[in-house]
Amino acid sequence: MRDIIRILIAPLVWLATFSAIYGLHGLLCGHGINGTAFGLPIERVLLGAAFLFAILLQTALLFALYHPSLAASSEFSRFVSRATGWVGLVATLWSLSPVVLTTYCV
Amino acid sequence: MNALGRHRKLTAIWASEPGFKGWFSTVNHTDLGRMFLATAFFFFFIGGLLAMLIRAQLATPHSAFAGPDIYNQIFTMHGTIMMFLFAIPTFEGLAVYLLPKMLGTRDLAFPRLTAYGFWCYAFGGSMMLVSMVFGIAPDGGWFMYPPLSGAIHSPGINTDFWLIGITFVEISAIAAAVEITVSILKYRAPGMSLDKMPIFAWYALITALMILTGFPPLILGSILLEVERAFGFPFFQAELGGDSLLWQHLFWLFGHPEVYIIFLPAAGVISTVLPVMCRTPLLGYGWIVAAALALAFLSFGLWVHHMFTTGIPHMGLAFFSAASTLVAVPTGMQIFAWIGTMWKGRPELHLPMLHLLGFFFTFVIGGLTGVMVAVVPFDWQAHDTAFITAHLHYVLFGGFVFPIFAGIYYWMPHFTGRKRFFYLGEFAFALVFIGFHVTFLAMHWVGLLGQRRRISTYAPEDGWTAINLISSVGSFVLAIGIAMILIDVFLHALTASRGRRNPWRAGTLEWAMITPAPAYNFASLPHVTDRNPLTIEPDLAVQLAKGEGYLGTPRNTWRETLTVEVASGKPDMHVIYPANTRLPILMSAVTGIFFLSLLLKFYWTVPVAVVGVAILAWKWVWSIGRQDDMDTVPVGQDIHLPNFAMTDRPPGWWGSVFLLTANATLFGSLLFGFAFLWTVAPGWPPPDWFPPSVSALALGIIGAGLGPIAMRYATQKNRNGGTPLASLALTLAGAVLVAVACAAMMVHTPAPTRHAYAATLFVLGSYGLFHAALGILMVCFLIARVRCGFTSSARRAEFPIVRLWIDYLSVVSVLILVVAHLPGLMG
Ligand code: HEM
Ligand SMILES: [Cu+2]
Repeated sequence: MRDIIRILIAPLVWLATFSAIYGLHGLLCGHGINGTAFGLPIERVLLGAAFLFAILLQTALLFALYHPSLAASSEFSRFVSRATGWVGLVATLWSLSPVVLTTYCV
Repeated sequence: MNALGRHRKLTAIWASEPGFKGWFSTVNHTDLGRMFLATAFFFFFIGGLLAMLIRAQLATPHSAFAGPDIYNQIFTMHGTIMMFLFAIPTFEGLAVYLLPKMLGTRDLAFPRLTAYGFWCYAFGGSMMLVSMVFGIAPDGGWFMYPPLSGAIHSPGINTDFWLIGITFVEISAIAAAVEITVSILKYRAPGMSLDKMPIFAWYALITALMILTGFPPLILGSILLEVERAFGFPFFQAELGGDSLLWQHLFWLFGHPEVYIIFLPAAGVISTVLPVMCRTPLLGYGWIVAAALALAFLSFGLWVHHMFTTGIPHMGLAFFSAASTLVAVPTGMQIFAWIGTMWKGRPELHLPMLHLLGFFFTFVIGGLTGVMVAVVPFDWQAHDTAFITAHLHYVLFGGFVFPIFAGIYYWMPHFTGRKRFFYLGEFAFALVFIGFHVTFLAMHWVGLLGQRRRISTYAPEDGWTAINLISSVGSFVLAIGIAMILIDVFLHALTASRGRRNPWRAGTLEWAMITPAPAYNFASLPHVTDRNPLTIEPDLAVQLAKGEGYLGTPRNTWRETLTVEVASGKPDMHVIYPANTRLPILMSAVTGIFFLSLLLKFYWTVPVAVVGVAILAWKWVWSIGRQDDMDTVPVGQDIHLPNFAMTDRPPGWWGSVFLLTANATLFGSLLFGFAFLWTVAPGWPPPDWFPPSVSALALGIIGAGLGPIAMRYATQKNRNGGTPLASLALTLAGAVLVAVACAAMMVHTPAPTRHAYAATLFVLGSYGLFHAALGILMVCFLIARVRCGFTSSARRAEFPIVRLWIDYLSVVSVLILVVAHLPGLMG
């Protein structure tokens, strides 16, 4: 069961952050918060921070999956869990990139 | 005991009742797998007939073959039957039939559940057919969008048939998915660690997990829409705080993963058949597993691409457009692994291989048009045209039907023990291939020329006449081809001469037995040391028949098998299966009464059916277990295992974990729906709010805290040899408190017909009340078991199961109560 969790964790976290950021975006646009921070609209800053957090989380997971004391013991589970770890990171970078690339709430 | 004696003895223990009567009481996976497949292909036939009607109607302009309202029923039922009654059950049937054989064990984890799932499918499917015969079939399109499908615009019973019938069938999908997941994780031959599992099992595992998380949003959506239609709770009505987009979210949260739920099993067939046809091991096993996992996950982040034209903000669209293009990567990886396998091997053009080539050609085109419509501006043009219909058939027919035909021809010798004798199949393949491409290439074209989907007719001036005629001619060629395949299969089953064992010289375990398969699969269970056991040990079948593996000596009248640790494949439990029983068919009939009562609005029979199901479920669980402690059981090779009643993680615990996963997804979708309405729906704030009450909230939270603590205490008490009855009584009190708090919440909610806010709270309250009632029932059951001597400090397996459900109850009830009371308490 531990190995199954190692294999599933990174994409699961991607799914959670992806949905959460999509939800956050909906929330920000639905309630129209105003203001600026660091010279940027507050919505952009919040979304960007969430994006950064998601990336950091995935990077940490990937580290854990490579760390000798946390990695799976069988070679196969090690391979698959690291592959899905990379999937989580790449999916986060790519699918959430609109946070910094496109307009929001239009 | 010699091989023949062993065979006789095992057959006496495992066989279903002979003849026709056996169908109703069998719990054997081989029987049920065949029944699933036969029923699914029956529905494929019906769905195909409907497709012919569609193409007949569209062949000429101003066709008077079917009027618009009948046409609506035809395409709705075609889509619905193909997706819910053909594709998913075909996967279930194939998995039910094959998995225990491939994994080297004797049956699935919960044989009676397999039967229950089958009967729910058969009854639910029949309900849909009945509606068609009476001309009151669903007619809102296979995705049933409100407001069209709401009570105002679809007043008849048609839509109710869909909502209720499909939910009934989905129970069977959830049952099968729990079954498949637990079987793959636990019910394998000793030594089969995760990396030695046949690749089909990986795909089936991933698909089953996707069913568990993909179907609940649709089940929830169907429940909400049916409640709206029957009782006027306005979940999807914008004037009253609902939002019809909520349906689209829930539907596609299911609908996109559904596409992969259909494709992945087919990919599993390809990855199994292709290497055998190419006489080489599959290239990149680990990569394929990782790619399939990636595909499964990514597919849950795509649903909004079906809603590109609903006015969602750009950034939202961009998220889903990006994620949609991303799935092409793992899909491409799988395709390359297959191409590499063909490259490395020496492909032999047997019939299954022809269908695989048909798959490659068709699916790649479907994938390319898929990438096209993932691009938002292109989709704005192509949305709701025949281009989309053509795309989806390239994916579904190419990605599912061709591989399944390959699989049928590949495993046919296994089903029947015979060999094919004539080239009918090759000829049929040619017709199917040509017919398919003519039909659907033409539809791409006419779609780009602007033909909308779901139109019952068009005018000559539209300029679509010739292309539509070509498409219809193609579809009839296709139909003849499919009919020939079905005839070929029939002829084969009835007349062909006996073939030899393992005709394809395959390496997986399902070929290490006599064919057609005996009821017990393996006379003794193998020890697995390689992914292709038969390649390294071609004589394995004989050794197993001689009883050289595990559990080779039949004991009492026990249907025995063993389970293994998930990752390593080390044996860990001894299992005795239940024998033939009519309980499953009875229980699904009573479940059917529940759904029929809802459909026909006979509300007084609803509680009768609910009580009926509860009583049968009680009987069901009561019949397993023992009243005396049992020593560890020798299973051969000097290994002794504890019976599952004497462990902390019995199969029922595993089943509960995955059932609760599905359940939690449903609950999560409900919370998502609440949040969505609150933030996005126009008609908010509601006219009146829920009156919060500190005492009701506190009461519920105390109950929710008491339950799990007392249950833990009861478990410990039992383990140490004491009597757990007092703690169980406390657990019961906790569940009762939760029930009271949830009931109070439902009573105090403002009128649920006036606003979606109150309606959602009411549903949340009933969800909590239902689970509290379930918890009460379970604790009462456990108390009865303790009193009747079914538990002891060693026979402790039932405690962790009840604990799991009590823990779940307390988590959801706290969330529900907080969601209801907190906003008001905070001002
Ligand atoms: C046997 C050959 C088949 C033919 C000739 C065929 C033909 C068609 C046609 C012409 C339509 C469009 C109806 C319209 O928009 O007016 C349609 C819709 C559809 N088909 Fe098929 N089909 C076939 C097989 C399948 C299979 C195998 C599946 C799924 C596994 C499938 C799933 C669907 C779905 C989901 C729709 C959409 C229904 C809707 O719009 O509500 N079809 N089919
Ligand atoms: Cu999709």
